[in-house]
Amino acid sequence: MTLRTAIIGYGKMGRIRHAAMEKHGGFKVVAACDSQPDPTAAIPVVTDPLAVYDYNPDVIVCSVPNMMIPDVVCEALTRGKHVFSEKPPGRNSGDVRRMRQAEAQNPSLVLKFGFNHRMHDAIEEAKKLTDAGTMGDLYFMRGVYGKAGGPGYAQNWRNDPTQSGGGILIDQGIHMLDLFQMFAGRFTEVQSFIQRNFWTEVPVEDNAFALMKNPEGIIASVHSSATQWQHTFRFELYMRNGFISVDGILSASGSYGTEVLTVALNRLDRGGNPIPNPECQEIRFTEDLSWDKEAAEFYEAIANGTPIRSGTSAQALEVMELVEAIYAADPEWHAQLQRQSVTAAE
Amino acid sequence: MQTPVFLDHLPDISTVTGRKPERYRLTRNKALSELLLDDTAHWHERSNCPACGGSIAKSRNFSRAYLPFQRCGGCNSIYAARVPAQQELDRLRLEQTAVKDPEAEQDREFEFISLLNWISLTEARSGCRLERVLDYRFCSQAPGFEEATGRLSHNRDWQFLPLESAADGGIGKLTRSLRDLAPKAVLVQAEMDRVADPAQLLRTLRENVAEGTIVFIGTSCSDGLEYEILGVDSPSFIPLDRLNIFSVKGFELLAQSLGYTVLEASTPGRRDAVLLEQYFNSAENAKIPFWSSFFQDADKDRLRDLQILLQRSLKSGVMRFVLKT
Ligand SMILES: [Zn+2]
Repeated sequence: MTLRTAIIGYGKMGRIRHAAMEKHGGFKVVAACDSQPDPTAAIPVVTDPLAVYDYNPDVIVCSVPNMMIPDVVCEALTRGKHVFSEKPPGRNSGDVRRMRQAEAQNPSLVLKFGFNHRMHDAIEEAKKLTDAGTMGDLYFMRGVYGKAGGPGYAQNWRNDPTQSGGGILIDQGIHMLDLFQMFAGRFTEVQSFIQRNFWTEVPVEDNAFALMKNPEGIIASVHSSATQWQHTFRFELYMRNGFISVDGILSASGSYGTEVLTVALNRLDRGGNPIPNPECQEIRFTEDLSWDKEAAEFYEAIANGTPIRSGTSAQALEVMELVEAIYAADPEWHAQLQRQSVTAAE
Repeated sequence: MQTPVFLDHLPDISTVTGRKPERYRLTRNKALSELLLDDTAHWHERSNCPACGGSIAKSRNFSRAYLPFQRCGGCNSIYAARVPAQQELDRLRLEQTAVKDPEAEQDREFEFISLLNWISLTEARSGCRLERVLDYRFCSQAPGFEEATGRLSHNRDWQFLPLESAADGGIGKLTRSLRDLAPKAVLVQAEMDRVADPAQLLRTLRENVAEGTIVFIGTSCSDGLEYEILGVDSPSFIPLDRLNIFSVKGFELLAQSLGYTVLEASTPGRRDAVLLEQYFNSAENAKIPFWSSFFQDADKDRLRDLQILLQRSLKSGVMRFVLKT
């Protein structure tokens, strides 16, 4: 079964998706849409998003800026198309609810969001280890995800809250929050500090620190940063019987390093207490297969009805609610956001 | 195939080159001399590499304690060019209970935990429940192991097949045990380098267990810097205990040729750096470009860094394999 596919938003992400879908073989990309025509592209590139429907696609890939995502996704679902959309799923939980409504009205269609970190090899390996029960109960998780903001930071649509919904937390930190919920379910209690340090000309955060707890008492802390001058991804899980960490994450730029999973089971003294610094097993992953796995999961869901595991709209809603809870939990930041929205309304 | 790295403290050098290990080495070599002089002893001449099957004509030869060895030009494995019959080897090992392997006398708790954790984490990652494990002879090599499994490995039923003297070198007993116990995993630790016919041992295992059984192998590794630089001068090169020192590639080829799937290969050795440091700092040794000054100037941090690099490069003197039938 070959799925005719149109990509709306043919920038860096759209082209990564194109390559992964071609590689999979079950998709045939028939058209793309972007703000500028691309006469060098191997497929027709139109500038009107609705024009892609002239190519009679079965599938829409949505790789547009956050504020456009809900419209593109809802339009596609209403027209009976399966949809693969990038994260973040819009700018806020309201956007996700709107998309979920369109999804509910078209139950035969597949909607998947690109939370690809769940499908990285090191993360899947960590999940296998925790699911097996060998590591024991999960106590807490720690996540650091950060980069140097980059050129054109202040001009980038990602840092215009009307277009993106927020700063580094909603853009990059959201992946870490999604991983927290993948391993421990929903987090309901949140404390946070949100900062704007370096890029003061834009109204979004360049650092977010949050501490959260789920109903089972599992605690997680995240630091999401655009002033992490040394690109860093570090995800740690501490369990009763040992720990797991994932250092580095394979990315298109390669700047977060190789993915290294470290796992250790404690060694106990004769009294049953863990001896410090247990032997660690380190496993390196050097090939990013997440794009391919996402394409394959999306295809299986459409062709064979296999349920989506990573990037469901329910997961998208939960993680957006968590992002909002983190923004809201810092009273100063919350007040600042309110003042901004009042000013914007005037 | 995954290639994990096992990170831990470096060992104390005295456990490898102290007086007790020296006494053990002398005793083993004396036993070998007696065997070489014994006209009634049976020997098997090897004309091919026991790992890759490469011809002996393409290897480099050398000898240690009057036993001829070869380093395979195809796969880099080191092997004795003639090996005693398995029952002779077993008899000698049993006779040597009076002179214990010094490793048997040390506190080997961390080594046991490392093995048990290796099995637990492999179980978790592979998704195959390993509720029944058969140990092949490691309990004889490491007397505290059986007790340690009882204390540290609660979720597993361990069965032990100790070293015994039998005319068939123990293959019949192994076959029966595998069939009767139907283990989900077999541990073959510190055995592959000492057996007369490693292929026969691997074949017996594979033919008598259910499909999907996991075999854990721990053995010495000829790609290790220890063996590459020191060769026969390595203190751990005791001929009777090192009839087969496989390279990673060589053992992988052997396992695959016998129908195993290789799930994992690693070289978790921790001794290369400390052994070489001691070697290059003892006065009488020849100068080797780069390495002599490297080890003479190395502090503990640098030794540790090197050992980790060796592990990451699959170049340490000990290796582990996880095989699946
Ligand atoms: Zn060979």
